[in-house]
Amino acid sequence: MKVTVTRSGGFAGITRSWHVFVEREPDEESWVVLLRKLPWDEVTREPSQPDRYLYRINCEPRARTDRPDSRDAPERILPEPREAVIPEQRLTGPWRELVDRVRERDEEKRELRPAAAPDDNT
Amino acid sequence: MRPPVVRPRTGPVANPSQPDRAISDAGGTETLPGRIVRREGEPAVDDASVNEAYDGLGHTHALFWDAFERASVDGAGSPLEATVHYGDAYDNAFWDGSRMVFGDGDGQVFAGFTTSLSVIGHELTHGVTQYTANLVYSGQSGALNESVSDVFGALVEQHSRGHDVTEASWLIGEGIFTDEVEGTALRSLKAPGTAYDDDVLGKDPQPAHMDDFVETDDDNGGVHINSGIPNRAFYLAATSIGGNAWERAGRIWYETLTGEIKATTDFGGFADATIAVAVRLYGSESPETAAVRTAWGEVGVLS
Repeated sequence: MKVTVTRSGGFAGITRSWHVFVEREPDEESWVVLLRKLPWDEVTREPSQPDRYLYRINCEPRARTDRPDSRDAPERILPEPREAVIPEQRLTGPWRELVDRVRERDEEKRELRPAAAPDDNT
Repeated sequence: MRPPVVRPRTGPVANPSQPDRAISDAGGTETLPGRIVRREGEPAVDDASVNEAYDGLGHTHALFWDAFERASVDGAGSPLEATVHYGDAYDNAFWDGSRMVFGDGDGQVFAGFTTSLSVIGHELTHGVTQYTANLVYSGQSGALNESVSDVFGALVEQHSRGHDVTEASWLIGEGIFTDEVEGTALRSLKAPGTAYDDDVLGKDPQPAHMDDFVETDDDNGGVHINSGIPNRAFYLAATSIGGNAWERAGRIWYETLTGEIKATTDFGGFADATIAVAVRLYGSESPETAAVRTAWGEVGVLS
């Protein structure tokens, strides 16, 4: 499961993106617990307040190579790709937790990668 | 958008030519409004962000009053309220429907937002727009909402510095980047797409012409991107007219914003409205009207 958070808008209008491969995380189970809590059906489109961020959260199941039986948990929760677009003023609860966690984790990994290395897009 | 809220005035001022300011401190939290730390008429405090916000609100009030006889964002002398120190290393400034909110920046890309008068003017203009044209914050009407905030944000700075069109920087957010960023400002009305070009941030993505209009789902349809097109139209009109930009070009844009345009207007509708205002104010054969018409043609909005 690849979880991608794209943050656009803001006063600067600079789009930034962070991602995590859930199955590569040492604490995969806790990610699964969080993914289960996401209230996909409660997301309603609402206009952004001027200059606030707009978040796009995308969860994409991936073919597993490490566990070919693919009965791993993230894919069972979300067998199909899903996407939610949420204005900053509505980013609360599990959505906020997920966004903060993906960003924090991705930035940690970027600090560990050599600056010249290509982005990990596999 | 919230409906207008009537609040008691916070200070002793009852004169619409004077601002009625209140600056609050969120103390690094995301709870609004925070604690009031400086009210109208109170002396400077030991916090640069508070004082910059206070002064910036004053300069913004001064432009709208001196140039357009408008008393505050609602035109009826409403209090001007701002919150500083919002969030933890929060890299942004916004208008929440009733107040301006400023983060401190993360210190890596942004050094804070209150240091730039054009940023403060930009945010308060979102309030003016909310009470007038109320341009829908999506697609072309959203890019116009952004553009008028940039236009009047730039005019606040020009008016406070006494800069005419040749002296003006035409930049938005000059000085808010840290020294590590390769860039002078966030946006340029004169040359959209040239404000920064940085290894980490990338290049300023603003188009300057309709040929380069960006179709995107992000940023509510690229409202901070495509605003470059009407921004440059204002720059072209203002520099062609000459003098102080807030006097004639600014007057035309102000009366368009506060006139009869629809909340969902597109670039073409806004352009037609500015020409109609120019004709009404200065005459159909005037240099002002010619400048406005030519400007919209040069950016590809009108043929």
